[in-house]
Amino acid sequence: MNRRSDAWLAYFMIFPVVAAVLAFVLGPTWDVATLSLTQFVMGQERGFGTLANFRALWADPIFPTVVRNTVIWILGGTLFCVVTGLAVGTFLAIDSKMTTALRALILLPWVLPDVVTAMAWKWMLHGQVGVIGDAFTRTGLTEKPISFLGDPNLVMWMLVVVLVWRKMPLVALILCAAIRSVPAEQIEASRMDGANARQRFRHVILPNIAFSLTAVTVISMIWITAEFTLPWVMTGGGPANASQIMSTYIYQQSFTFFNWGVGSAMSVVNLGFLICVVGLYLYVNRRSWAAGGSK
Amino acid sequence: MNQTSRPLYWLGLGLIGTIIAAYVLFPIFWLVLASFKTTGELASLPLTFWPKAPTIEAYTALFDANSQSSQLLRWPTLISNSFIVAVSSTILVLIFGTLAGYAFSRLHFPGRDLILGGLLISRMFQGAALLLPTYRLMNALNLQDSLIGLILLYSAFGLPFATWIIASSLREIPFELEESAIMDGASRLQSMVRIVLPLATPALITAAMWHFVGAWSEFAFASILMESADHKTVTIGLASFVELFTIEFNRVGAAATLVALPIMVVFFFGQRYFTRGLLAGAVKG
Repeated sequence: MNRRSDAWLAYFMIFPVVAAVLAFVLGPTWDVATLSLTQFVMGQERGFGTLANFRALWADPIFPTVVRNTVIWILGGTLFCVVTGLAVGTFLAIDSKMTTALRALILLPWVLPDVVTAMAWKWMLHGQVGVIGDAFTRTGLTEKPISFLGDPNLVMWMLVVVLVWRKMPLVALILCAAIRSVPAEQIEASRMDGANARQRFRHVILPNIAFSLTAVTVISMIWITAEFTLPWVMTGGGPANASQIMSTYIYQQSFTFFNWGVGSAMSVVNLGFLICVVGLYLYVNRRSWAAGGSK
Repeated sequence: MNQTSRPLYWLGLGLIGTIIAAYVLFPIFWLVLASFKTTGELASLPLTFWPKAPTIEAYTALFDANSQSSQLLRWPTLISNSFIVAVSSTILVLIFGTLAGYAFSRLHFPGRDLILGGLLISRMFQGAALLLPTYRLMNALNLQDSLIGLILLYSAFGLPFATWIIASSLREIPFELEESAIMDGASRLQSMVRIVLPLATPALITAAMWHFVGAWSEFAFASILMESADHKTVTIGLASFVELFTIEFNRVGAAATLVALPIMVVFFFGQRYFTRGLLAGAVKG
């Protein structure tokens, strides 16, 4: 077959996809980067080439809170998702009819729309008639129901709890698949050598799934950084900015306050962070990407 | 295998399994139950588990043209908008994803792996950072507050993953099958449509399901773009219930159940395709 005409045919066939990504992802990325360096006076664009927006972002009194909350959200969320995901994934890897059924069921939180998840948990965490607060008072853990989402010290951690419910299943399934592909001979050999379950996990399973574990940790960080709907619908960043994170701050600045300067500056900070994590992801995954994305 | 025969082992297994199942199902169950309770029952302690007097009043209120909240948001309109956007963008994604997937898996051209890798990485940047520039872009194109604009945006966001799923499945179909058809005088297009596509059907179903679920559930971009009541989608409608949260939670529960329903249907009928797509490609971002 003619190689050159093949190439032209191929470019023709991939053109719509490439054009769509250039127009709706790469173009906007460029736009927000230039916007962040544009001076705004009374909402009007006045001249290019200034760091005023980044200075305004830095000077915003709630900026330290946003940074602190984002660290809890991304690092806390990733850590809890991976730790519980590893525990659940190890359990699901056991051969039985029940775990097979659970492997299907556990994806449910993951397919449910974020807005639905947010509403369901917001209702369960309600300060007066929420079922979780009610369970706490009934069992005598607390005297009266806790206002989970109304308490500035608790709210971020409550969001992490919901995040774990939402994202952990996927981590568990990926790790479950990795554990199930550990060569049976290795497990059998360690059994013959008299290793107990804990030793087997530590010295046989863990080294075998180390690659999947690292990859899934980094990819979880990317998902959690991108997550906006869950915190926004549950708290809107409140009470009094106590749960404002990077993504909700961008939304609030851009579309509630129409402060495009600060909104675009925070977007660029967000993109910069993402580029670092994606770079880390590519580094971790260099083996499988070198194979031409075929694995 | 000595330990697996112990009854205590199976008891422990069953107990942990039950806890995980309860953890996964309870929030969904509790929400659906709330939609069948009355506002009075929801607001009074002690809480009840099963509805005392099950009623579908919350559902009828959503569709009642005279009630106050349905004047602001007409649920039949929201539902039809969401279906139009999700189905149209799924069709677009399948057509262009198949074209590109075929090229990436079957044809040789300079930059092939680099372009495919770039497409996949672009998915990782589709987050809050793109909200503001997307709003500006859609305004510049005069596509803000338009269903067509939302369809194009969702298609652009969904295409890289669909392309990747389809390409990796086509790669597994032996090239000889297609070659022999071409030897017999079929054109490239004929061989693609008659030989390759039927074999790739499971991958097409997987790609379609993933995209439909994503497009139906999307909230952030829809909420900044769709301004008029005629163009809003179900997720915007549900999120706008935040204001009447405690007073009429049964209605919130009913709306949430309706929003989740199509997703649940897709999930239960296509579960194996879903897991397939997940393990094939979720780790790609």
